[in-house]
This record gives sequence, C-alpha cells and structure tokens, in this order.
Amino acid sequence: MRDIRLPRRRLPLITAVLATASVAIAGCGSSDSSDAVPGGGGDNEAAAGLDAVYEDAPVADDELILPESTMAEIKERGVLRVAAALDAPLLSQQDPSSPDDVEGFDIDLAKMLAIYILGEPNIEIVPPASETREALLQNGTVDVVFNTYTITEERDEQISFAGPYFTSGLAVAVAADNDDITSVEDLDGRNVIVGANTPAVTAVPEVAPGAEVTSFATDPQAVQALVQGRGDAYVQDYTLLLAAAAQNDDIKVAVQPFTEEPYGIGLPPQDPDFKDFVNTWLTEIEDDGSWAEIWEATLGTVVEGDAPTPPEIGSVPGS
Amino acid sequence: MSALIENLDPLLRALGTTVLILVVSAVGSLVLGVLVTVARVSPIPVLRGAAFAYVQVFVNIPLLALLLLFVFALPDAGLLMPLTTTVIVVLVVYEAAYVAEAVRSGINTVAAGQVEAARALGLRLSQTLRFVVVPQAVRAVVQPLGNVMIALLMNTALAATVGVVELTSAVNKVNLVAAQPIPIFTAAGLTYMALALAIGLAAGRIEKKVAIHR
Repeated sequence: MRDIRLPRRRLPLITAVLATASVAIAGCGSSDSSDAVPGGGGDNEAAAGLDAVYEDAPVADDELILPESTMAEIKERGVLRVAAALDAPLLSQQDPSSPDDVEGFDIDLAKMLAIYILGEPNIEIVPPASETREALLQNGTVDVVFNTYTITEERDEQISFAGPYFTSGLAVAVAADNDDITSVEDLDGRNVIVGANTPAVTAVPEVAPGAEVTSFATDPQAVQALVQGRGDAYVQDYTLLLAAAAQNDDIKVAVQPFTEEPYGIGLPPQDPDFKDFVNTWLTEIEDDGSWAEIWEATLGTVVEGDAPTPPEIGSVPGS
Repeated sequence: MSALIENLDPLLRALGTTVLILVVSAVGSLVLGVLVTVARVSPIPVLRGAAFAYVQVFVNIPLLALLLLFVFALPDAGLLMPLTTTVIVVLVVYEAAYVAEAVRSGINTVAAGQVEAARALGLRLSQTLRFVVVPQAVRAVVQPLGNVMIALLMNTALAATVGVVELTSAVNKVNLVAAQPIPIFTAAGLTYMALALAIGLAAGRIEKKVAIHR
C-alpha cells in the first residue's frame, strides 16, 4: 500500500482525452487553426458552384493596397487571419471528415476577402469565443471577424465594423408537437433556451420579462436541450434555427424573426483605411452578384425565395 | 468598470450560485472521497477493486465530458434533473476521486504499527479506521485537500457551459452587452482568486490547528 500515485501526473493524458472528447461530444472544434482550402471541398454541388465564384472573384488593384496599411501587412504575410466559428451550420461549419474544409456564408465571404487582398483564398481560422472577439481584434491576433457579429454602438467603441453585410433576426423554435407558442409574447413565464453570448440573452427578457432564460454554450447543445424538454422554446438566429429544424424532425420554427440583427465584419479599432477598403470590397461583391451566389449556396438552401437585397453599408448605428 | 457596477445585483446572485455549488460539492466530495479511500484500503477485495476503478475512471475522464454526459445523456436514459443539481452531482463524483487520492496518501503516512497497536487493543476494523487511521490520515493532508477544493472552485466555472448562471456565465452576459472583455474578465478572475485565497488560508489555519506533533 505504499505506492503513492499522483493523480495530477495524468494531466497530459487528460488533456489529450479532453481534446478528443470536446470534438466528439460537444461537437465544437479543436482550438488549433487550419488553413481552409476551398478547392479541396468540391464534392458537393454548392461547393462546386462556388468554385466558379472564387475564380471570378474581384482582386483589389495595387493602388488600393496603401503602403504601411493593414492591407499591405496582410499581403506581405500571405494569409488573412479570420476569427470565425467552426460549428455554425450554413454560416461557418467545419466538415468533420475533412477538417481543412470549412464552409458557409460567413467563411465563404472571408475567403472572398482573402482573394481580394491576396489573389488566393488563403485564410487562417481562429475560432473565437463570442466574448473574446473584441480582444482578438484589439491585440492583433486576427485581422477580421466573420462571426454573425451584430453591430452595436457599445462594440463600436472597442473595435470598428465594416458592413453590415447581412441582416437576420431572432426567431423561436419549439418541439414539433408544441402548439402553445405562436408569438414571442407566449414566451412570458416559460423556460426559454438561448445560446450563450448571443443577442437572445438580452432580447428575450425585453420581449418576455417573465421568461426563465437558460443558456447553452453551443447550438447543438441548445437543440438537444430543447428536444429533451429542458425548455419550452429555443430563441436563436432565424437561419440557424431553419438549418437545425431542417436536420431535426423533433423541432420546428414557431415564430418568425422578431428582431433585426445587422451583422458586420469586425475590424481592428482606429483603422479607417482598412474599413474603407473592406467596405469597397463589400460593395464590389454585392454589385457583381457574387454575394447573392454565396447566399444561394449556403443560407439559400434553407430559406425560401430569392437572395435578399444586401443591407446598405453604414446604415446602422455603429457601422 | 461601470458595466460591472450597473450589473452588481445579478453578478452577486451569480456569485452566490458559485459559492453554493462550491460548498455543497465540497462537503459531498470530501465525504464521498473519504468513503472511497476507506473502501480502497479495506481488506475486502471487491470493495478495493471498486474503489480503485472509481478513482481511475473519474481521474481519467475530463470534467467537461462528464458534465455534457450527465446533462445531455441522462435525460435520454429517463433521468431529467435540474441543471444546478446535475452540476453538483458531477462535481461531487469527480472531485471525490481526487479527494480519495489525497486521503490515501495520508493513510500511507500512518505507520503500520498504529494499526497493529489498535488491533492489539481489541479495536474492530471499523473502529481502527474511525478512531486511528482516518483522523491521522486526514490531518496529514489538510493542505492537499485545500488544493483539491481550490481546483473544485475553478471547476465550477465549467457549469457555465451547460446553462447554470454562476459567476463565469454572468460576467459573460455582462460582457455581451458591454463588450469590454479585459476589465470584466479580470474582475471575475480576481473574484475567483479571492475565493481561492480564502480556501488556501483556511486550509493553512486548519492544518496548524489539527497538526500532529510527533
């Protein structure tokens, strides 16, 4: 009985298991960054369609890359560092069988921006936590944030926003057999699931002051919690809910969007040249139709109708 | 900083939840951990094996994986507990494995002669453990147990990932609106540090008070 074992010696093993488990169980990506190679993912129709978009993507003229600017720095480095999720279906989703392959509306736009600066879709993805996005931009870890980043004036004091490049809104999903909830007012007094660090955390108490709010870290967890009855409703971005409901017969979208969330591209603070540059790029891809093509290939697969008109750049406070 | 002061009320309530989880899990894991150690050193092979397996399983599975399993897999098996209760249960069974290892190292410091003397005096096994071995063993490992409790405090932050509104989750919510991660999370870190310091100091005092001077 004299063998003294120090449990903490097992830390490396625990770390290894944790890394595996967090990928396998939570479904959230590992923290290492990866270069996404869009050409490698031509195995489905949407990706094949986008290859053409990438080929014809606009590239900035040399005079737009001002000397000593952030754009010049990125071009010098040869890779655009992007803060983006790996677990957001249709927006920025890592392919589990081919981890270098990340697809979705946000990440495809990021690749377009990389082509605009570098001539090729060279991006390095840093998966941020929603709460670290400002810090990542402030300390220069990433160049841009494409992360369903709602433009707010508080955030604009910390960083800059280009765009908005997309407008969405919060909607309500319920269990498929639940017919009690048909409007946001019905959420009052009920147990409502939200995604941690999403606009729903503050929006739900505003529309339904009596609601009990429970937040889960990731979208798959929140959906699972709804299916298991931990809450009566799940409030999340409309497109995310549509994607979830398309994959899961146990839930349905019961209430159409009740807020307007203008998504912006997060940029480092006090960098007006870079902001102008990104807004110029955004105007260019909106005008030449590639914005709409990317929307059709990603979010358009679950939303009925044609691509919406992109929101006017600089149209919301904070942008 | 103003963001923190404006939200002081929900933040204090969340701190209360953190302390509640900490205290209940600490008591639970200390009791369960000592029981596991007793089983581990008992002369009954089945108990020894079960205790060994218990410690190996919970020391080698990451807490986050356990939390997600308990929160999302148990309901599928028909057991739906409130979230805070689930988190406390997970923390108790997880930290008990570390408590058991710490107490076992304490038992290793109790000289074999003590047990022989107790038996010579006619004490039964349960009496030997209760009056001779465990009191001396626990006294020897007060500081290591304090460290396990500090680790437990830090681990309560993982409850935020499964929807419990404790300190980490509450500062996340404040930051979502205020968008000032560095001051906000620094303040949260300092709060955790103060709690850890309190646990460490308390462990130091208890250790001095109960130390056996040989």
